[in-house]
Amino acid sequence: MRRLLDINGLEAGYGAARVLNGLSVHIDEGESIGLFGPNGHGKSTLLRTISGLLRPTAGSIAFEGNDITTQRPPAIVAAGLIHAPQGNTLFGNMRIAETLELAAFSKRARAEAARRIDEVYALFPRLAERKQQSARTLSGGERQMLSIGCALMCAPRLLMLDEPTLGLSPRLKEELAAAIAKISKTGVPLIVVEQDVEFLLSLTDRLYMVEHGEVVREISSANAPDHEEVMRLYFGAEEAH
Amino acid sequence: MEALLATLVSGLVLGSLYALMSSGLSVVWTTLGVFNFSHGALMMVGAFVAWTVSEVLGLGPVVGILSGTLAAGLVGIVIERLLVRPFYSNRNMLLITAMTTLAAMVILERGAQMIWGARLKQLPHLVPGEVRILGTTISAHEALLIVLAPLILVALWRFTVTTNRGRSLRAVGQNQDSAALLGIDVPVAFALAFGISAALAGLTGALLGSIRFVTPTMGSEPLTKAMIVVIFGGLGNLGATAGAAYLIGFIEAFLILGLGLYWTPFVLFLLMILVLLFRPNGVFGGK
Repeated sequence: MRRLLDINGLEAGYGAARVLNGLSVHIDEGESIGLFGPNGHGKSTLLRTISGLLRPTAGSIAFEGNDITTQRPPAIVAAGLIHAPQGNTLFGNMRIAETLELAAFSKRARAEAARRIDEVYALFPRLAERKQQSARTLSGGERQMLSIGCALMCAPRLLMLDEPTLGLSPRLKEELAAAIAKISKTGVPLIVVEQDVEFLLSLTDRLYMVEHGEVVREISSANAPDHEEVMRLYFGAEEAH
Repeated sequence: MEALLATLVSGLVLGSLYALMSSGLSVVWTTLGVFNFSHGALMMVGAFVAWTVSEVLGLGPVVGILSGTLAAGLVGIVIERLLVRPFYSNRNMLLITAMTTLAAMVILERGAQMIWGARLKQLPHLVPGEVRILGTTISAHEALLIVLAPLILVALWRFTVTTNRGRSLRAVGQNQDSAALLGIDVPVAFALAFGISAALAGLTGALLGSIRFVTPTMGSEPLTKAMIVVIFGGLGNLGATAGAAYLIGFIEAFLILGLGLYWTPFVLFLLMILVLLFRPNGVFGGK
């Protein structure tokens, strides 16, 4: 099977602090993956490195067969590798409609902007109601919707969502989870970082558990572990150290 | 009554000048978070290049002004690349770039002195003749400045609000990472902001070059006034900045009428200190 994304031996960090220690993950064509594990162990750093915000010190990243290890963000976005970062505040004094239009910045995205903006408003009716409001006035959940909406405007071929339901009320979390499932059904492959393993199991094909900047376990959703085992994975793994 | 109207018109000319100057400062501030102290010197570059192209090469004031605008824009991009960009990730960027752009001002002013000498120069009026407004007579060139300034400001405002390229400047100013993840090239946005701002300064200088004399330090007085303007209006909002520019223009014109040239700067700076003490975010509120 062809690989959509292939990451091998990735090392990256901030200054002297190395966060990724030779991490390898891949996505086959037609699948979605989830990343989970304790906070501060490299999941967000991995996404930041893939999207070019952080330059790796070793290892390689290939997307659709092309090496993108040293590419800058504009080229990576143009290729369709889109990242909605954690707690994305976007641009406080820019209106929703303006922000979504701006998000279709690459040439490829601009060609699809008119169709995609309707899709985003259909997916998140709250955004349609608040078109003329500035991003600063949005609630946490609405801001998350805008962030995902922007990512969709970028015409993603692979969509990376970093903790899209972090800090949301159970009701809003459900609403966003449903929207993300809908996006997945339209055929957009996902990389989702989440703490909620059961949500990840229902949404993606495979899960990687990331710890200390490495993959410590791979789980297939097809033979998913039961709730207790997941709990053991989370807390048992912690005790081992 | 006639003196009052004449003062109004003179305030309008000054306000137009300050609005063009401070809107350029505002573009750089909202995108890069940098206060460009070489802005006045860029204005002077525009005036000297316009004079050279128009008078020395004999290509006329229109080509001259266009060349001056373009040249100042290019010099601005070079300043951004060499003196501002190396310090982006520095924690003390604001302070460091204050010093490096001041250095750019000195380099440009001394450079102009070496190239063009100290003799006063003046550009011909872009349009000849005189115009009567509100019972006062001003040169058609000054009238053109009054008409052109708001048109340029509106064009600039529309650029930053309705086009993706213009919006990208605001986006980069507010959240660099989020902007980059939408495919916006952050260094390109920085260079573009600096280029547009410098081109605006160059245009202002070239237009001013036929009202005042073209000298290496011709930009320092308008820059000082533009600083008073941005302290009044803040830098984050183009509308507030432009409003403050006209306000300062009128205040200055009326102070000259009432107090004379000698005491006017004193009162303007006193006002500035009062604003800094009591409304540090600008008279027009906001943050």
